Amino acid sequence: MERLIEILEDIQPDVDYANCTDLIDGHYLSSLAIISLIAELEEEYDITIPAVEIVPDNFNSAERIMKMIERLQEEY
Amino acid sequence: MQLSSLLLAGQGKSLTSLFSLLYLILFLPACIIGYTVIPKNWKKYFLLLASYGFFWLISGELLIYLILTTFSVHYFGIWLDRINGQMKEALAALPKEERKGAKAGFVKKQRLVVALAVVLHIGLLLVLKYSPFFTTNVNLLLNKMGLSINIEIPKYLMPIGISFFTLQAVSYIVDVYRGVTKADDNLFRLALFMSFFPQIIEGPICRYNQTAEQLWNVKPIEYKNLTFGIQRILYGMLKKIVIADRLNLFVSNIFDKNVDYEGGIIAIGAICYTVQLYMDFSGSMDAVVGTAEIFGVVMPENFQRPFFSKTISEFWKRWHITLGAWFKDYIFYPVTSAKKMKKLTSGARKKLGNHYGPLIAGSIALFCVWFCNGLWHGSAWSFIFFGMYHFVLILIGNMLEPPVQTMNKKLHINPKWFVYRLLQILRTCVLVVIGELFFRARGLKAGMNLFTKMVSDFSFTTLNDDLLKTLSADKYDFIIVGVTLLIILTVSILNEKGICIRGSLAKRNIVLRWCLLYALLLYIIIFGAYGLGYKPVDPMYAQF
Repeated sequence: MERLIEILEDIQPDVDYANCTDLIDGHYLSSLAIISLIAELEEEYDITIPAVEIVPDNFNSAERIMKMIERLQEEY
Repeated sequence: MQLSSLLLAGQGKSLTSLFSLLYLILFLPACIIGYTVIPKNWKKYFLLLASYGFFWLISGELLIYLILTTFSVHYFGIWLDRINGQMKEALAALPKEERKGAKAGFVKKQRLVVALAVVLHIGLLLVLKYSPFFTTNVNLLLNKMGLSINIEIPKYLMPIGISFFTLQAVSYIVDVYRGVTKADDNLFRLALFMSFFPQIIEGPICRYNQTAEQLWNVKPIEYKNLTFGIQRILYGMLKKIVIADRLNLFVSNIFDKNVDYEGGIIAIGAICYTVQLYMDFSGSMDAVVGTAEIFGVVMPENFQRPFFSKTISEFWKRWHITLGAWFKDYIFYPVTSAKKMKKLTSGARKKLGNHYGPLIAGSIALFCVWFCNGLWHGSAWSFIFFGMYHFVLILIGNMLEPPVQTMNKKLHINPKWFVYRLLQILRTCVLVVIGELFFRARGLKAGMNLFTKMVSDFSFTTLNDDLLKTLSADKYDFIIVGVTLLIILTVSILNEKGICIRGSLAKRNIVLRWCLLYALLLYIIIFGAYGLGYKPVDPMYAQF
């Protein structure tokens, strides 16, 4: 989780990622930030994030992002 | 006109709109009564029959396109599901380390099926809608090259709503492939999702997960749904019949006659067309949502007060929302998610920073979206220009975002200030009106001429009662439109503030509620643009 928050802070600083639960709905992360985030997450966690996963529910909090990463890592 | 002639298949010219008299006094009430008296288990089949009947009345034998599209997506869905089942069985029998490779083979197979389905459905749309445009341009090119070859320009009969139901068909196939929805083994349920009569002419473009189950698990008509639905339809009628149809002749005269109007008159024409288009399309959507509401179905909204937008990008998130969402999900994100694009984003971010880095991949995807958006609206260069115009505006907006933020900070400007936001809204409205001028003009050249004239000769010296008369309008038309727009603006401001007017009214005395409903109906009857001197106007977005 710490590494994920580091990545998020690198892409979009000045957001309380530990507690924020509306990163998309609250417009903290723009679509450009999401494009960067996806590229970084794929590189960092060796996963592929398909277009279908790019929904607010998966990106609204650091916890939700982590859950998506773990799910994609689990998928064979 | 005889009722029988109105009901002739494909000849039902009076039934091309959800506001036509035949629809409002015969078709819709008959559907509501039939739906109410029919046993519960048969209601969904009744809706399906009504939907096919409606489509047959407006498109005649062209109904075959809808039927074939439904059969086709049903088959493709089941095909994808079968491959998915085979994949699960095969992977379960393999050790974990071998699964990744085996899965790739099945995914490749599924992708081929999706590609085949997309080529088939989008291909049919391309042939029907764009082959005359393509052939005309090829002929022009050949002539310019000095070749005297003239390919015959094909003419096809296109069923109404094909641009809408094709996108719905493609979204269903892709969603089955992505696992967002399961393939539907019930052909009738899928057919009802594809054909539900209020939405077949102009959308909204629904996803299978949004409406299919709702339509299939039908409910009896409730008093609240009936009254709320009727209120919404009446509100749509107010927009369409009192405003959009009243402005129709005036707008047509400015854009369609070869008269050299001065710039100010062209600007008024462009503003009136923008108002007309919004009132026509959003009014039709009110009728769709209201009709669906009567049957207990919640449709996705297509408009969210777009003229309160501060940027062009925001405007397109509030205008024709379901089309924008379709492009976002099936073009924008797949393009930005392509491997090469991700690599490009990663590299560019390191060199250009957090804003401009991802902007390159984002802009390539945005270009694809707006090229398709322009083409989707019609097969002419003016529509492609319309798409590119918005692409460039959004791109400029994205590029200027950091310097504007820095400037605001330095000048101590708070972007939340009312005046600042008002200026942003006004700027967006001006840019939208310019875009709509090109959209409405009879071709790109005509659009350029109108725009040049508008900016180079901006005056109102010829604006008087006589000119209005030649444009089939008078000051009373503008007073009626102005007053009605004020009513709609008030409702929109309240909605923007989160106040639900229908909800608040529902808590009031029944006498007051019905008085207001009758007052609205009376207002439409008195001030509506119909009958002698007016031509019934087909839904404007149906032609796209």
